[in-house]
Amino acid sequence: MAERLLLVEDDARLAEMLAEYLGEAGFRVTAAGSGAAALERLAAGEFDALVLDLMLPDMDGLDVCRQLRAHSDLPVLMLTARGDATDRIVGLELGADDYLPKPFQPRELLARLRAILRRRGSGSVSDAPLRFGRLEIDRAARALRLDGRVCTITSYQFSLLLVLADNAGRVLTRDGLMDLLKGEQLESFDRSIDVHISRIRAAIEDDPKHPRRIITLRGAGYLFARSQD
Amino acid sequence: MSRLYLRFYFALLGSLVLFALITAVISHHFVGPVDRASRTLGKLIQNALPPADAPAAEQHEALLRLTHGLHANVVLVAAHHAPIAMVGDPLPIPDDAWQRGEWRQPWKDDTIWMTHLPDGRWLAASAPIGLARPAHALMVTLLALALAVAVGAYPIVRRLTKRLERLQRGVESLGAGDLSARVAVEGGDEVARLAESFNRAAARIESVVGAHKALLANASHELRTPLARIRMAIELMKETADARRKAGLDQDIAELDRLIDEILLSSRLDAVVDHEVDEDVDLYVLAAEECARYADVQLDGRSVQLRGDPRLLRRMLRNLLENAQRHGRPPIQVDITQRDASIALCVSDAGAPIPAEQRERLFEPFYRRQGGNDGGGAGLGLALVRQIARRHGGDAQCVALGDDRSGFVVELPMRH
Repeated sequence: MAERLLLVEDDARLAEMLAEYLGEAGFRVTAAGSGAAALERLAAGEFDALVLDLMLPDMDGLDVCRQLRAHSDLPVLMLTARGDATDRIVGLELGADDYLPKPFQPRELLARLRAILRRRGSGSVSDAPLRFGRLEIDRAARALRLDGRVCTITSYQFSLLLVLADNAGRVLTRDGLMDLLKGEQLESFDRSIDVHISRIRAAIEDDPKHPRRIITLRGAGYLFARSQD
Repeated sequence: MSRLYLRFYFALLGSLVLFALITAVISHHFVGPVDRASRTLGKLIQNALPPADAPAAEQHEALLRLTHGLHANVVLVAAHHAPIAMVGDPLPIPDDAWQRGEWRQPWKDDTIWMTHLPDGRWLAASAPIGLARPAHALMVTLLALALAVAVGAYPIVRRLTKRLERLQRGVESLGAGDLSARVAVEGGDEVARLAESFNRAAARIESVVGAHKALLANASHELRTPLARIRMAIELMKETADARRKAGLDQDIAELDRLIDEILLSSRLDAVVDHEVDEDVDLYVLAAEECARYADVQLDGRSVQLRGDPRLLRRMLRNLLENAQRHGRPPIQVDITQRDASIALCVSDAGAPIPAEQRERLFEPFYRRQGGNDGGGAGLGLALVRQIARRHGGDAQCVALGDDRSGFVVELPMRH
């Protein structure tokens, strides 16, 4: 596919290794060491995505993003070491497509980069997939991915998972879950909801015996964890 | 009476009352009994005059003799207000108001002075007669003085303390995290100097905290970039490296990253943070998510709502569970109970009870437990637990539970 990537990172050694890693993954990487150089390259060359470090020697990465967004909707993945929630919110509000804190797992960078490129390719920007750590629920394509790999579940189970994910961080009773599902689909209920839950767990949990994404609360119901991984 | 201006004010009123009492004592001892002196004078005049039922001519003659060389207009009035005798120009006849005990009346450009005789007659003159004003007049004067001072002093005292209150509001908003809070400096008195000192101190704090924040942001970047490099390098080593060693290195990086995170979070919690998150949080849901990360953690309780920062509360739960996992023995038990307006979170394990003298020290940063078999220090985990609990208006304690279990209890108010 050889997508062209602009990597803006002031740490030369990290930039070199990132370029090598992403190059091996099939990207054509151009590196820029400062905000000014990045804006220059962006104005001159055509790129498919931008990987942007927030802390640059000459200017704030947020400013680079703001200036870029004034005339382009290039996919942007932000890298930052600040790890402060406010930075992250500001970054996403300025139009960054995703955000990754340093030190990141290189494979996660790759997965997220591919995810934002795929999203741009499909053109459905408004219907962005739900992301919970390594889990990605693509509502538009009705696809489920873990670490970028597609997991197969039935359509009914996908609807069930969507209801759970839309209510992440909230306890749902079995009855409440069924009520929410009825609006979505009119499939007759041949099996208990618990069986469907255990099928979903088998697909998305690392250890289905100790679920961390769909948690059972004794006597209360199910909880889809807001924070996973 | 906690308000300063009220204290000032009541102190002033108190001293006025004291002043009145002293004046009353002095006048009693040194000015003499005014009322009795007036009565004596009235009796003397009555004795010098013919009796009240004597013919008017006789009374007139006696009055002429009595006022000889006085150069004043004088009138003698009967008890039933009819004038009996008159010397000089006519004076108005005393009316009821006069009889209510008043002893002088304004009249034209002059004043009429009066003395009441014991038999009911009045003697009114355009020159002062009688010894002095009656005693209650003195009290009226004092009361008027007190009233004047009370009314006059109130706005002055109030203005002074209003300035102090403005200063207090400034100090409070600084304490609440608004580091740009300054107060207006008015005048050149002590309060103004205090306001100046406050502004100087606030400016210093603002610059120190600003520098601290910049340091934190830079430290985070400087420390994490090399970590990102190492992680990248490990990934690039690929098959050339031993898989076990690679995993070990990955774990070391994760540990270092976590430590950096904790140090930065701890100093951020110490500093005044302006972006405070305050959301409705269900602690039970957070606990359920965090407990699901471990294989043998039992959670008991029910939904409890509180206000706070979900990220910090999640971190607190994670640190408590991590601590139990590393230093305790399974099974780990988490209980969430609600008592009145406070929530108690208890994380306990079946490990050996912690000696009483060590319980408080566990919350010290990087404290190493005596005789601990785990080798490593506790890091900042429990120190952060306490910092987060206190930030939410609660506290964290290490307590001994029954049947040789020990655990950590975090008390949090439902609202703060």
